[in-house]
Amino acid sequence: MGHQPFETIMEAHHAEIYRYLRRVTSRAAEADDLSQETFLRAYRAYRALPADANVRAWLFTIATNLARNHFRAEGRRSRAHAAASVCRSALDDGAGPEGEALFNEVRVQVEEVVERLPLRQRLAFTLRKIHDLDYEVIARSLDCSAETARAHVFQALRKVRQSLGEPPQMEIQR
Amino acid sequence: MNRPHVCHEIEPDIVASATGDADPATDERVQRHIGRCAPCADEYQRYRAVEGVVTAMRRAPAPVADTGQARKRLEASLRDLRHRIITYRIFPSPLGQILIGQSEQGVSIVEYLGSHGDVRHSRLAHARDVEAIEDGADVEVLYRELMEYLEGKRTRLEWPLDLRLARSDFHRHVLSAASEIPYGAVTSYAGLACQLGKPTAARAVAQALRWNPLPIVIPCHRVIGTSGALTGYAGDKIGLKQQLLTTEGIRAQQTAVPRHSMYISIPNETFYCLPSCSWIPTAEHPHRFIFFGTRERAEASGRAACGDCRPDLHPLRN
Repeated sequence: MGHQPFETIMEAHHAEIYRYLRRVTSRAAEADDLSQETFLRAYRAYRALPADANVRAWLFTIATNLARNHFRAEGRRSRAHAAASVCRSALDDGAGPEGEALFNEVRVQVEEVVERLPLRQRLAFTLRKIHDLDYEVIARSLDCSAETARAHVFQALRKVRQSLGEPPQMEIQR
Repeated sequence: MNRPHVCHEIEPDIVASATGDADPATDERVQRHIGRCAPCADEYQRYRAVEGVVTAMRRAPAPVADTGQARKRLEASLRDLRHRIITYRIFPSPLGQILIGQSEQGVSIVEYLGSHGDVRHSRLAHARDVEAIEDGADVEVLYRELMEYLEGKRTRLEWPLDLRLARSDFHRHVLSAASEIPYGAVTSYAGLACQLGKPTAARAVAQALRWNPLPIVIPCHRVIGTSGALTGYAGDKIGLKQQLLTTEGIRAQQTAVPRHSMYISIPNETFYCLPSCSWIPTAEHPHRFIFFGTRERAEASGRAACGDCRPDLHPLRN
């Protein structure tokens, strides 16, 4: 069959997929459920996957589809927003020196903007900017063209940029 | 919302370039532009700052405890799923479309689907606590061995079995007992019931065999009525039963097995006899008899010719 054992796939990708879902759902319980479902679906379909397929991209596509269905069902999106602060504080390293604290403040602000983006922009932004996936993969996950995926990321970055206003705040750089 | 001044026609390129998402040609074009356009240069720097924040977001790990718990839950669910999954494939065969399925524990179903070959009509589609997944790679080997069996080139299917689709523990006992009937031999429902220590349970034995999830592999076709009649098989497929027995060297005539012209033995015995052997009329449990179509098959089951009636010297004329 030429496939790696599924345990190897889980070992290599579970943490990242979980982290992705944690970001886009903003709730640990939802990320837990969706990451579990992602891997159970993957396990069912794994035998039929071509041996040379990009497993990581494939897992992200499954996870994204599940996340989209999840938000579509029962209009959960607004509830996810309401829970955003829980996720953010969990992801935060805490305040360090002054510059670090200011930087973290900006980061929190960016995360807030990302959490309020329209779903497809948020998913495209997270897939591209946080998980570094190709536009072709993002396009497959979002069921659109690569150009549209690129446009979603552009719009997301633009909103992030606009939300941060003008200098001096924007002089913070790394 | 602040709308900074920026040259619209190049804005997407500025964003792509500042956030590391542009090709070299775009980078060059952007650098040329911001060299002579101060507002766009500012904007470029702001997007660079955004990229810095995004990079920090990218590096922020998910809380370890959450990931570990999620992983543990996933592993438990995966174990459960693996246990439930039966992979199957439908194959053509001389007996019509046949579905073969196996779980991690062993081969769990062989089912005649007739001409429709549709899994939705299979037992698998209605089984509880089972998830059926179509997949050919592993099952293909089983199919080849089964075909060899049906062509008479193989007399045993030494497969690990998973009897989860049997309907009860009693059914499992019956199926295990039926597995012991040698190739090329038949016995009766009553005989099997007797062997299980339940001599009055012939009908229950027949029911258990009717729901055999592994026909051919568990040779319920080798169980017939006490009169020699083939009775039933997989519902109304007596023709298939006849065909399977023929492959094993037992020629049923008008849906009955000619027991008077077959070699006789009993379970766990080491010899086989002619039907005229002197001990046969005195046998305590005649319904326990096992009938062989040929001497070769009786001997292949590990039995020797009876020293009294000498079937080796006076073979039956079939």
